[in-house]
Amino acid sequence: MDLIKTLALLKKYKIPLAEMTVARSKSEAVSAAKKLGYPVALKIYSKEILHKTDIGGVKLKLQDAAQVGAAYDEIMQAVKGKSVEGVLVQKMAAKGLELIIGGKIDAQFGPLVLFGLGGIYVEVLRDVSLRICPITEDDAREMVSEIKGRALLDGARGRKPVDKLALQKMLVNVSKMLYNEKIKELDFNPVIAYEKGCMAVDVRIID
Amino acid sequence: MANKTKNKPKNKTKAKTKTKISKPQHVVNLDSVFNPKSIAIIGASREPGKIGNVIVKNFVDGSYKGKVFPINPKADQILGLKCYPDISAIKEKVDSVIIATPAQTVPAILKSCGQKGVKSAVIITGGFSEVGNTQGEEEIRQIAKEYSIAVIGPNCMGCMNLEAGVDSVFLPTYKLGRPVEGEIGFITQSGAVGGCVLDLAARAGIGMSKFVSYGNAAVIDETSLLEYFEHDKSTKVIVMYLEGVQRGRDFLEVAKRVTKTKPVIVLKAGVGKKGSEAAKSHTAALAGSAEAYHAAFKQAKIIEARTLTELFDFSKIFYQPYPCGNRVAVITNGGGLGVLSADSAEEYGLQLTELSDETKKALREKLPSYANVRNPLDLIGDANAERYELAIDLVSRDRNVDILAVIVLFQTASLDSKVVDVIVKQSDKREKPMVVISVGGEYTDLHKRILDGYKIPTYHSPSSAMKAIRRMVDYSDSIGTRSKDARCKYIMPPAPHTKEE
Repeated sequence: MDLIKTLALLKKYKIPLAEMTVARSKSEAVSAAKKLGYPVALKIYSKEILHKTDIGGVKLKLQDAAQVGAAYDEIMQAVKGKSVEGVLVQKMAAKGLELIIGGKIDAQFGPLVLFGLGGIYVEVLRDVSLRICPITEDDAREMVSEIKGRALLDGARGRKPVDKLALQKMLVNVSKMLYNEKIKELDFNPVIAYEKGCMAVDVRIID
Repeated sequence: MANKTKNKPKNKTKAKTKTKISKPQHVVNLDSVFNPKSIAIIGASREPGKIGNVIVKNFVDGSYKGKVFPINPKADQILGLKCYPDISAIKEKVDSVIIATPAQTVPAILKSCGQKGVKSAVIITGGFSEVGNTQGEEEIRQIAKEYSIAVIGPNCMGCMNLEAGVDSVFLPTYKLGRPVEGEIGFITQSGAVGGCVLDLAARAGIGMSKFVSYGNAAVIDETSLLEYFEHDKSTKVIVMYLEGVQRGRDFLEVAKRVTKTKPVIVLKAGVGKKGSEAAKSHTAALAGSAEAYHAAFKQAKIIEARTLTELFDFSKIFYQPYPCGNRVAVITNGGGLGVLSADSAEEYGLQLTELSDETKKALREKLPSYANVRNPLDLIGDANAERYELAIDLVSRDRNVDILAVIVLFQTASLDSKVVDVIVKQSDKREKPMVVISVGGEYTDLHKRILDGYKIPTYHSPSSAMKAIRRMVDYSDSIGTRSKDARCKYIMPPAPHTKEE
């Protein structure tokens, strides 16, 4: 799904997403970064490319205009030959707990929503919980408390607990969106949860 | 054979008048499968060992009070009953039929049944969609629709209503035991699994209300059956063996509703594909059909069993009153089993309660000085039935106790069958759930069967007992027993539950 439509959908369902700007040239990228404030991330913006990181389409923690410019060149070099719309410039999200929220259509039960620990944990531990859409607030609460790594949400090892209510609200809203819009596959990966609030940093919708 | 079910026709009319208000049409017709006033067996046979003979014999030998019409054009009489060449030759009304004739004859026979005004049919015959004959199955579906026949099967093992002596299960009673009348309704896709469960339940003394093996589910599927059992007064606990669900979302919605009034325990086989690594998104890679089933069951508050053993373990505990909380008291005549029980209770997030000072004082006064008064309460190896009675009585009245787990090691010299009477008597108060844990051989098994027959669930290990207790605690929580049930007012509020490890 293209970015404009995606952003409109997220707005409609009140799903928080880290602020981002589309830049179609190096100079646009540099001025967008300046406007958002450093450090920033640059991500390739192309319908053709599904796994941005794998092909070198993502550059993180860029500290100044020079780094942004260089990163822009490197990304363009990496995706040579592919049709690209530009790059996305995002302010680097503050450190928090990385989670994943996603969805898909199950052949038997229809749209379902997924929640779990993000980052490397997703694939290695498969520590996720699922429900069939649409979900109730009780379902959302169960999903959040069901994962094995729930202690991390409660603030393990001296960390502050994250905002579970915000996560539950996001899950309910995502489930509404999946149910109403018949979205085939969806990843918010990562979603970053803070002491107060949470937001998706990256989104991929396959419609 | 003799003296029972005089209230059966009354039940039937009652059900009928009620259905007009609240039950969906297919559920109404389905009732004639389990409560037929008259039944025709098409494909009835004179030869012992043939399916068509076994089924007639079930009806003749059992307690069925309605009319039975065997149908076989080549016979005049089968097992003493007048035999008819076809359904149209019967002058009287026929409520329900059982069909056990070759696959190619089934559609035409079903049609003649429809013309006769038959409300339901159990098609035992195989050879339809399970072997690729989708056309034959589609014909059955069309005829069923045209004549509003509630069809079970094809390719199924039959149905039972233990209360009414209805038994179309085609396995002979001397080979496959029939359970006693009880309150568990069992719905199974597979006939083979269904047969094993019946036999095991019969042996273990676990009662059933109704049994249905629904085979290919051409017309009546698991969701319709679940709805039927929801309304069935003699079924208190619904147990299902599923290999798939035809209408996922309908099943989910119906199950969500049913579990508010009756516990539903499901064993889902062939759990299906795991999420595939090849998927485009992380989510699709993590959420395969197996995970979707587990999610749907959780959402519907269905109690999921992962093995046949668990299916039994979880089902029979629901004969007990629901617990007001998760605090377990263990009574034992063997220290080691007590310790194992304490470990298992913790593993399944149950609280090993602290007995109240009052209880402890009374126990100290009445038990021998060498008994260990704490939880697990060790009555010591020389405990007899009287000592058990005293202990169960005091502990069950303790306000800090929600559930009793009574370990009985029948091997000791001082213990005999009297302890069974004591436990049954105590359980009859039905204020708090009680389970019995007994580990042993023949002598132990004999006593466990008697206890299970009295609806006191027995377990062969502390961990299987604690796991079942945990499932019942969760279910009890989900229906709000603690706030709704008057029993729970007199019990101290328990601490919040911890997660299962």
